[in-house]
Amino acid sequence: MKNKIILLFICLLMVTGCGNYRELNDLAIVTSIAIDKSGDEYELSFLIANSPKSQTSNKEGEATTTIYSGKGKTLNEATNVIDRKTPKSLYYGHINVVVISEEIAKEGFFKIADWLLRNPETRKQFYIIQSKENTASSILKIVEPLESFPSQSIASLIESNATFESLTSNIKYSPFVERILSPGFDPILPAVSINGTVKKGSNEKNLETTVPKTYIKLNDAAIFRKDKFIDYIGEKDSQAINVLNDSISEFKFAFKYNKADIVFISDNINTKIKLKDFNHIDIKVSGDGYLAEVNGQVKIENTNVVKKIEKKLEKEVKEHLKSTLKKMQNEYKADVFGFGNKLYGKYPSKWKKVEDEWNDKYFSKLNIDVKTDFVISSSGSLNRTLEEVKK
Amino acid sequence: MEKSPKNVNEIIENIKKLYGKSSDLKTRIMNIGKTNIGILFMESSSSGSDVSDFIIKSTYFISKNTKIFSNLYNNLKNSIFASQLSTTNNFEEFPYYLSSGFTIVIVDGSDEAIILETRATLDRGVSEATSEPILRGPKDSFTENHSKNLGLVRKRIKDSNLWIEDMKVGVRTQTKVSLIYLNDVADKKCLNKIKKILKQINVDGILDSGNIREYLLKKKSSFPQILSTERPDFACQSILNGKIVLIVENTPFVLILPNVFTDFIHTSEDEYQKPANVNFTRVLKIIALIITLFTPAIYIAITTFDQTVVPDELLISLAVQREGVPFPTFFEVILLMAIFEILRESDVRSPANMGASMSIVGALILGQAAVDAGIVSPIAVIVIAITSICSLIFTDVDFMNGIRTWRFIFILSATFFGIIGIIASGLILVLKLSSLDAFGVPFLAPFSPLITESQKNSIIRFPLPKIFKRPEYLNDNDIIKQGGQNEK
Repeated sequence: MKNKIILLFICLLMVTGCGNYRELNDLAIVTSIAIDKSGDEYELSFLIANSPKSQTSNKEGEATTTIYSGKGKTLNEATNVIDRKTPKSLYYGHINVVVISEEIAKEGFFKIADWLLRNPETRKQFYIIQSKENTASSILKIVEPLESFPSQSIASLIESNATFESLTSNIKYSPFVERILSPGFDPILPAVSINGTVKKGSNEKNLETTVPKTYIKLNDAAIFRKDKFIDYIGEKDSQAINVLNDSISEFKFAFKYNKADIVFISDNINTKIKLKDFNHIDIKVSGDGYLAEVNGQVKIENTNVVKKIEKKLEKEVKEHLKSTLKKMQNEYKADVFGFGNKLYGKYPSKWKKVEDEWNDKYFSKLNIDVKTDFVISSSGSLNRTLEEVKK
Repeated sequence: MEKSPKNVNEIIENIKKLYGKSSDLKTRIMNIGKTNIGILFMESSSSGSDVSDFIIKSTYFISKNTKIFSNLYNNLKNSIFASQLSTTNNFEEFPYYLSSGFTIVIVDGSDEAIILETRATLDRGVSEATSEPILRGPKDSFTENHSKNLGLVRKRIKDSNLWIEDMKVGVRTQTKVSLIYLNDVADKKCLNKIKKILKQINVDGILDSGNIREYLLKKKSSFPQILSTERPDFACQSILNGKIVLIVENTPFVLILPNVFTDFIHTSEDEYQKPANVNFTRVLKIIALIITLFTPAIYIAITTFDQTVVPDELLISLAVQREGVPFPTFFEVILLMAIFEILRESDVRSPANMGASMSIVGALILGQAAVDAGIVSPIAVIVIAITSICSLIFTDVDFMNGIRTWRFIFILSATFFGIIGIIASGLILVLKLSSLDAFGVPFLAPFSPLITESQKNSIIRFPLPKIFKRPEYLNDNDIIKQGGQNEK
């Protein structure tokens, strides 16, 4: 009896479906994927991280990377081509970054989304970015001096920018797909481009120079309407979008006050969106911060002056946000703020009627009020400006 | 055999025949008038000067002054010089006393014999404990001398309730086994069980407490439920908690029982140090226990089954390190573990002056060169090193072996089933441990069953002034450890 139970127990363990024994050195670890379109075929490029090119680098645990590419009518076909080229079996569990080209994005993201989601091995928590100007595969080729392998450099570039610069939206794969699928919400993606030539950047010599000749630049964002790409927007707009989405961690804003250049930084910006009725939305942005830079003759030790600076700041930010809102409403007609989604949540029956024409007709008609409220709580380590002191 | 014959010459002849004319059996016959007095002793186990200075001298004077020879035996019994004197009329007991170093005096016509203690000190003195070094606390340790060992306990606990019960185990060795316990505290059921088992042992020889230990617990388990120690202070701590201590003749290792799991992470030093420090080391030991049990298994599981749980950069670094290693991860781990066990075993057995060459071979050649030669990956060496170091934190050898057994089980299940396998065999370990009991005490007490009061000294030790009760799972006779004595 006891033996039977033990046998049953072992059988139970075997049917868990987790019995996939693979030695580490039989795996080709794919860390990033680039998807391009050439003609009517897809071109996939896999960046494989663990390829010991020389015996010496092997011992120190240094990885050098290799890129394998393959073409096919479907993505799966392209993978098979790559699989035949690599001596090891491909392992998708550690994908960091997926780069898609502009063409793919224009055609519609859903065509490739299925393959990435269906694969049980992928983690669905990788970054998805769009390559501007260059092919997606060329992005993978650039070696960065500060990180050990390219995909990692792109991932940390996005992360550091999103947390400290707040220029692009650092959206991961599954929330991105979720956003496409949810009503009244259009996604944005970070867009990267290459500064310099791909040929120089893909050479290991790029690492040896003090000033890298080629590097990856991340300053734009790609606006989508549902799963289709529309246009790129600049840093300013993408910052405003992040503020309005309440997904910003550090808000930096430069403005002029009485000929003086002032930079305001806040790390607790709070955005509240209130739906007044179906056509009316109130947005209130508030936060406190400090002055990071004041160049000019301003008496910042005077509280009245600070009050005036705050007023000016509020006005400037308000204008900045409004211009972005206008651009989205009228020019791109992309609801990247998810206002439609909020309306859908509050007025589901009304939403049903406008759903099909939301982006084209109703979104641009939405009345949006923006209120800003900022407090300058500190002037940094200096309590007067240097020019004031000089006088 | 029947009653001893009354003729001295006859008795001596019989004894000599019994010992096959062994050269160390010495006899002496003194003639007092018509009466013969026979003196028998073992030259090898008794002190010759004691025999001649006290026994022979006093026998001579007493018998000279005795007028009536019929009273000779009683006179001798009353006035012979010896601290320990007993009589027997059982001829069969003679070899036991002789071998233990006693001197036997027999008188013609008497059916009793006088037995006198003249044992030689055939052992080293009380020295420092070598297997359980300590930073702070008493440094003495048990020795091979039985009465010295009893004395080391007796001088620490002066209560008359400290009872010592002797039993003889082993047909040929006739080894004395003493049960020491506090009569009003120790659990009587447990005591009776132990006595019953000891009585049932029918073996020719008991040479160490290790022999007895195997008879005491018949339930199969890789974890020991009996502690052995050579520290008298630790034995006394256990006695005060209501445990029973077994001192076996001729060995410095005494047995403490019954024990629970947490006793194996305690040391005698725990009571002499500040609670904060003790708790720190105890938590460290628990962490070390987990590390030493699971690390190799988890290493195998995450490198062969569940690569997804490893952070990106670590996985790539692992993959590159394993590049060129010809063996599967399982074999790599088993190979290194076997090498470590061999090193440890040879280090224990080899004479001290060979230790240095061993460590050079072990550390440099096996560690560094094996990695350079591409036989094993550096990470596997690190994994095994961590595992081995953590296993050395436990002093009890059997506990260490239990951990080793289970580590191997975990490795096997990780090899075949990955992390699921580790979880499954972890469950089995917990089930197994909770099904164990030592003489009625559940092995996982005071956690299962949960006893809140006894938590004060299980993993976390409270300050001593706050521990009022003895462990409740051990006994229910006299539970109050502190604060209750005055009322009694």
